[in-house]
Amino acid sequence: MLILSYCPNFPQRLIFNTMSKLKEAIKQHGYETILDHVLINEAQLQARIQELGAQISQDYAGKDALLISILRGGVVFLTELMRHIHTPHHIEFMAVSSYGVGARSTRGQPRITLDLNTDVKGRHVILVEDIVDSGHTIDHVLRLLQTREPASLKVCALLDKPTRREIFVPIEYRGFEIPNEFVFGFGLDLDEYFRNLPFIGVVKQEYQ
Amino acid sequence: MGIHAFDPTRTVDHGITRVLFTQEEIETRVAELAAQISADYAGQDLLLVCILRGGVIFLADLMRHLTLPCNLDFMAVASYESGARSTNHSPRILLDTREDILGRNVLLIEDIVDSGYTFDHLIKLLKTREPASLKVCSLLSKPTRREVPVQIDYLGFEIPDEYVCGYGIDADELYRNLPFIASVK
Repeated sequence: MLILSYCPNFPQRLIFNTMSKLKEAIKQHGYETILDHVLINEAQLQARIQELGAQISQDYAGKDALLISILRGGVVFLTELMRHIHTPHHIEFMAVSSYGVGARSTRGQPRITLDLNTDVKGRHVILVEDIVDSGHTIDHVLRLLQTREPASLKVCALLDKPTRREIFVPIEYRGFEIPNEFVFGFGLDLDEYFRNLPFIGVVKQEYQ
Repeated sequence: MGIHAFDPTRTVDHGITRVLFTQEEIETRVAELAAQISADYAGQDLLLVCILRGGVIFLADLMRHLTLPCNLDFMAVASYESGARSTNHSPRILLDTREDILGRNVLLIEDIVDSGYTFDHLIKLLKTREPASLKVCSLLSKPTRREVPVQIDYLGFEIPDEYVCGYGIDADELYRNLPFIASVK
């Protein structure tokens, strides 16, 4: 069985017939065919993100936090989270891709394809991620940001898959700890589809 | 969350004057747009291309209402001239799409169409890549500010020539998180 990560490049690592079977299923039937079960429903997501937002509002009161989201998966979580942060804050985006083909989940060093608009020096930075998996990408981004001397730098991750971790990542704000299952929806894609689903679902074994 | 939710000192600084569209009005309109888009593209694949940064909240809400198989991509552009709200020249591409748009149905998602220059240039650029179709979806439009015509296929609201913030749109980089759209001095 292929173990897939959430990385945007993973289709290139799929064997051809799995990919065409998946694409066909998506086109014919939408997500229902692919969905094994809903792992986290919309209400659970909303409630938890509201809690995280309240916690961040409290912790960053008077600090003008800078939320940084890594494209593309983290955007849905970021937009929901920022609406629950009731203190003034800024948002920024970064895009990273790795050298080589389809290697974002591996140890390939990420390349910054879109950098921040603002200087983070002296700022209170929160890196907002959809999922922390092996931890390599976020580790690289954290180390990069650290060289720019922010006043503080924390991680807020909606999902944490600790069993997949290969490198330690300090997660200050964690939405949900999830088992090592292939998930999609709420920003997370399955072969680039289904980022728009309002819940997080688990992919059926046969499509993994 | 309501108007009480933002820092009162900042509110004074930035001069938020009145609410133009409430959270409920926006939610209703976004759901309507998504239903329209879902119907128009039924049976087809759709690639949403969101222009950073203002469009992200609109995008995140809109896409969750879509019943289509859709892909998501982003572009970031900056104008050559400084000045937060006016764009008189062609934009510089800071981040291009990851996806190849050849033969795809592309829907550009933007928070606001103002003079139209940025959009006009973006549309021209993307058309050279031969998408199957290219349409524009904007949350807001300021028709009185238009200097070049832009066809907006899906429009949330028309607004007068006022500075606005909230629902992804910033006032000096703040207030993107407001659930409503307000007028700023």
